[in-house]
Amino acid sequence: MGNVFTKNKFLPYILIVPAFVLICVFKLYPIVTTLLEGFFVKGEFTLDTYNTVFQDPVFWNSLWITIKINIVMIPLQIVISFILAMMVNLTVRGIAIFRTIFYLPFTISLTVATILWNMMFNANNGILNSFLSVFGIPAQKFLLSSSQALWCIVIIASWKGCGYWMMFILAGLKNIDTSIYESAKMDGAGFFTTVFKITIPLIKRVLLFVCVANTTANVLLFVPMQLLTNGGPEGSTNVLMYEAYQSAFSYGNRSRSAVMVTVLLILIILICLVQFKFLNEKEEGRA
Amino acid sequence: MLGNYKTWQKVIIYIVLVLMTIVTLFPLLWGVACSLRTDQEIFKYALPFSYHTLVPVDWTFQSYIDLFARFHFEKPFLNTIIMIIISVPLGCLVNSIAAFSFATFNFRGKGILFGLVLISFMIPFDVIAMPLYNIVDGFNWVDTWPGLIAPTIASGLVLFLFTQFFKDIPPSLIEAARVDGAGWPTIFVKIILPSSIPVFVTAGLMIFMDQWNAYLWPLLVARSQDIRPLQIALASFKMERSTLWSCMYAGAIFSAIIPLGMFLPFQRFFVQGITSSGIKG
Repeated sequence: MGNVFTKNKFLPYILIVPAFVLICVFKLYPIVTTLLEGFFVKGEFTLDTYNTVFQDPVFWNSLWITIKINIVMIPLQIVISFILAMMVNLTVRGIAIFRTIFYLPFTISLTVATILWNMMFNANNGILNSFLSVFGIPAQKFLLSSSQALWCIVIIASWKGCGYWMMFILAGLKNIDTSIYESAKMDGAGFFTTVFKITIPLIKRVLLFVCVANTTANVLLFVPMQLLTNGGPEGSTNVLMYEAYQSAFSYGNRSRSAVMVTVLLILIILICLVQFKFLNEKEEGRA
Repeated sequence: MLGNYKTWQKVIIYIVLVLMTIVTLFPLLWGVACSLRTDQEIFKYALPFSYHTLVPVDWTFQSYIDLFARFHFEKPFLNTIIMIIISVPLGCLVNSIAAFSFATFNFRGKGILFGLVLISFMIPFDVIAMPLYNIVDGFNWVDTWPGLIAPTIASGLVLFLFTQFFKDIPPSLIEAARVDGAGWPTIFVKIILPSSIPVFVTAGLMIFMDQWNAYLWPLLVARSQDIRPLQIALASFKMERSTLWSCMYAGAIFSAIIPLGMFLPFQRFFVQGITSSGIKG
């Protein structure tokens, strides 16, 4: 149909050029240079950078912490978002107000969320310790404790993120024809059977999108570590993304940073593949 | 339409909803309350827990005054505004004309080119931020407006959003205009634009939110006070003066209030943008 629309063969290309050049220079080219930079030192192909990084215990610690935080955070956020979406999909009076409230943290930047929570988590004057004292629980160190800091960050990121993921799942739920639920009810299906056998398979596409997008966001989480803990205490929150940032901008070691970013990308792809497989099996099980 | 729930079910539903609301709103309301009192007061009533732990005794706007009079937050605020005033229209223009081309014409290489756009939309910006710094450094653009803004203009996601929308505009409309001898700029302005207001609002809001909340990229590239946006100013305020709680809360609330204010009236468009990128995809 192109030729019916225009005699000018170049017009479609001219319209694309600005966006396309910007995407190539600022999006695609950097990713290619990252992948290459890990393998080249002063223009020569070498595996030295990878060797050095893989022998560095700091790298393995960061990788482990990245995996640890995400194994908890990704499922937790998806389950909470799913529950939130189910709740605001109910038809009770005033539900629109609750929906708006649950969206709110998404409009706030992670920087602001981090700062708000930072002071709540404060060990000496924080409001959370005030609450705990009401129940007779001794003051916790939260961000200053190497066993608690990581989970405090999970709370901050989940508070900020869940409303956002809820929106997607809610949109998926709204697309489901309610008559399906009615016939399931007549067949005597209980609540959990309905959720796992009907709801989840029907919103599989949305769930997959949420899983993938949530994984990318969480694996690359960076602001709370940079603002609050600097990877500490005792390296307990030193996720790979933060170590990559440190490598490039504090240690001036760009190739080390490139290797870590490559590992992060591979990690994201792996997690997404697992999720694809998991959600696809769900569907086959139904058929 | 209201569903049929038994009374006990309704009670449980509302209890859960209210609990979730408290968790969601508490950090915000607590932030507002703390920004309206003095540091001494926050610390004094922290422990033991009492009514005044939550509600200020003496309400004061001093922290907001300090924020501007002493710490000059108006400068980073203006910088953020400049960033948005440039990137929202430019981002809408660049992405929408490319999307128009993808949606309207058939041309050689279209599949590959659109595939590259989709790839760029799947690569998160934070991953490329560090290598991107080297490229921008190569242009001598570190600490300049072009360095801060140019990399964020073209967005795979926004382009994709426009393309999806433009595909639904009937081709007969454009054909008729062509037969009448209208040029392409006229068609874009007179036919495409008026029927695509919602998608422009959605895209504009997405760019607005991205820029308002941007952190990693400005952190790397905006080194001096001259172009440093609000989020970075807030972060460095946190690093340098972490004992000034009420000012920190005031800064946080101040930088949250504008996106919150945008969100409430435009909620429909936010949801549209977010869901259409996830579901149509």
